[in-house]
Amino acid sequence: MTMAPPYPYSGPEALQVPIERALRAVVDPELALSIVDVGLVYGVTLRDGKVHVSLTMTSVACPVADMILDDVEAALDGAVPADMAIEVKLVWQPPWSAERMSAEGKAFMGW
Amino acid sequence: MRRPELQPRIAAVGARVAALLVVATLLAGGIVGGLLRAAVALPLPAASTWPGHAVLAHAFVMICGFLGTVIGIERAVAAKARLAFAAPVASAAAGMAALNGAPALAAWLAVLAALAFVITHVSMLQRQPEPHIGVLLAGAAAWLVGALLFALGGAARGATAVPFWFAFLILTIAGERLEMTRLMRRRAGATGALYAVLGTLLLGAVLFALMPSLGAAVFGAALLALAAWLMRHDIARRTLAAQGLSRYMAVCLLTGYAWLGIAGAAWIATALGHPLRDMALHALGIGFVFSMMLAHAPVILPALTRVKVQFGAWFYLPLALLHASLAVRTMGAVNADLLRAGALANAVAITTFLLTLLAAALAWRLKHPAEPDAVAAHH
Repeated sequence: MTMAPPYPYSGPEALQVPIERALRAVVDPELALSIVDVGLVYGVTLRDGKVHVSLTMTSVACPVADMILDDVEAALDGAVPADMAIEVKLVWQPPWSAERMSAEGKAFMGW
Repeated sequence: MRRPELQPRIAAVGARVAALLVVATLLAGGIVGGLLRAAVALPLPAASTWPGHAVLAHAFVMICGFLGTVIGIERAVAAKARLAFAAPVASAAAGMAALNGAPALAAWLAVLAALAFVITHVSMLQRQPEPHIGVLLAGAAAWLVGALLFALGGAARGATAVPFWFAFLILTIAGERLEMTRLMRRRAGATGALYAVLGTLLLGAVLFALMPSLGAAVFGAALLALAAWLMRHDIARRTLAAQGLSRYMAVCLLTGYAWLGIAGAAWIATALGHPLRDMALHALGIGFVFSMMLAHAPVILPALTRVKVQFGAWFYLPLALLHASLAVRTMGAVNADLLRAGALANAVAITTFLLTLLAAALAWRLKHPAEPDAVAAHH
């Protein structure tokens, strides 16, 4: 039994760990934390041969959003079967807050 | 991966190349104007008139032209709205007009740019009603006030507008830093303290137009307080413990905050009659603002141009040059040769940074031969 990821996950158990590992490889260099530790990943759903990822950002004024979306796509490219389509969606609801940060992320930021 | 049609892709690349050329021209024009102001002898063609215009419009070209355009593009990319690009297009045109000796046109184009920038932030605040967006909006409004003062003002228009132009940059940076502090535990009163500091800064800018000495003192006190606030609350103190790019960014930020404090002291000193105007302006404009640019360029440049860069320890070289050159320049108050040498070294530091970015982009290509076209691979 693998540990549940820190975001809602719906899909085959075999892909849960590789996907989490791929998402943890996407790091915001300004924060020195992965998007998973910041709590930006709102959910991962695998359905009809497609992996859907919902992702938020901490600010609508940040121009790096598209690049992070591309990085997530590239990271997932190596983690899921080649014939699986990848869809990464930027969402703003519910708004991000610091409660979404992981214990490791909070520890790093001195909580 | 998503691969859009070839034609729009070429158009998008073309737009990025054109934007890059205009931004580079504005920066070069701003730097040449600054060097000539510092009495550095440059081998310029005798017949050309633009260096003279660059001297007169140095602050305008640097802040309303170069920085306004870079920040405007950043925000427009984030807003994903075609209309948001009106701000950087207008500010780039304003900078080019100033370099070509059309000051009135330039001034009104800057008003247009700032107005579009304000509208962009109003719509952002509607999408995300958070305090940091409010601070960014206040920065945009400060730019608009400064641009209007410059367009409508008389002979002393530059002097009254400059504190507002700086307030635009400072509030923009403060808003972005406030956003990052959301990752740290909220300390009671920290956000309120920041509002008080930024309010004092704007008060200083207003007073500067009426009573320059008092205004400079209030403005300087606000800069000092902001430096203390950022040193105390910014995540850079945490990310300094990280490695690589994150640590480099933290070093840029913290050393930038030190220059912000020095700038504050220099503004107060000018209010007391000390001849430290050059230090007051450039500890702020180069020491603080350019340190922020050096910090973020390795992240923002790829986001805006779709050209990735390879980070390496060599990024510390231009940063060290920037600080060392500015340290030399601050001694210009006692020795005009040091002012000249420092100003020239400032330009060398900025040029070195641009070359570092170029080398880092090439290094990334060499390290990732499987993805020869970063633009194609990422859209």
